[in-house]
Amino acid sequence: MSDELKLIDAAKGGSVDAFTELVRGYRGGLFRFLITRCANHADAEDALQDTLINAYRYIDSYNPQWRFSTWLYRIAIRNAGSLRSENLAELGDPADAGADPLAHCIADSERDNLWRSAKRVLSDEVFTAMWLRYVEDMSVRDIARVLERSSSWTKVNLLRGRRALEMEMNGTAGNAGSEAYG
Amino acid sequence: MPEVKLMDKLANRLREDAANIDAEISAQLDSRIRASLAAVEPETARRQRDTRRRSVSFWLASSLTGVAAALGVIAILNIVDTNEPAAVPRTVADTATQPIEIPVIDLDVEAATLTGPLAQELADLQADLKRAEEVVRGDVRIDF
Repeated sequence: MSDELKLIDAAKGGSVDAFTELVRGYRGGLFRFLITRCANHADAEDALQDTLINAYRYIDSYNPQWRFSTWLYRIAIRNAGSLRSENLAELGDPADAGADPLAHCIADSERDNLWRSAKRVLSDEVFTAMWLRYVEDMSVRDIARVLERSSSWTKVNLLRGRRALEMEMNGTAGNAGSEAYG
Repeated sequence: MPEVKLMDKLANRLREDAANIDAEISAQLDSRIRASLAAVEPETARRQRDTRRRSVSFWLASSLTGVAAALGVIAILNIVDTNEPAAVPRTVADTATQPIEIPVIDLDVEAATLTGPLAQELADLQADLKRAEEVVRGDVRIDF
């Protein structure tokens, strides 16, 4: 039995320490991803907290057939989605550039961060698929699982996302229009 | 293969830009998450605890039912034991030990029987006294 499975078993028995150790390696990447998906930094923090609490509470539903990160991201996406729905209902238009946590977190960068472009030109699902593929190194099968989509849809939209970002990177996006892919 | 090189370039750029996103988890958020985790319990552990609690409750209920049933059986047996001697034919020795019933005396009747002669005697004496008065009155001719 791997260390991760041992920690999962201990967490299932109610060990907070085991669970904390289990998610230690995933928290940073998860929080970075949530910053790109949430309306503001506070929401990203809340989403991370909710994700970890739900993961801990329902850890018995984790299937070891899949990677733990796949399961964790699936919960995170649902939490980020529900938080955004609440914000839309409460605040109306959340597209406030000043509140964008991604803009805030990369404001000092010398060049334009490609993920900001990705957020602008890609749909949420394609953005997530690109993130999981290029940042988390997930397989197409795992990404399809996280997004609850078919492998075919995932492949096609990864290709579309790549093309859109290549154009952004090469500065040819203006020629192709501002179509949101996905 | 320029397309592959472009792909690698894109992948590298995406990884680098993701790493440039400052997403440090503050100590405050870390302690908040820890406190929240300590306040919840995994469903598995909760179910196991509930199962154990149910087992204990079931054991207690079974024990109480068993004890109640045993007490009921003991009570029934005791009732049967107290009734059994009545069903057995009494012996002479048993009846001899029973107290003798004393008949209740009608005191009024007895009193009348005892005072009747005295009353008669009293009436006789009064009649004698009356006759003696009349004799004396006739002798001295004095009215009382």
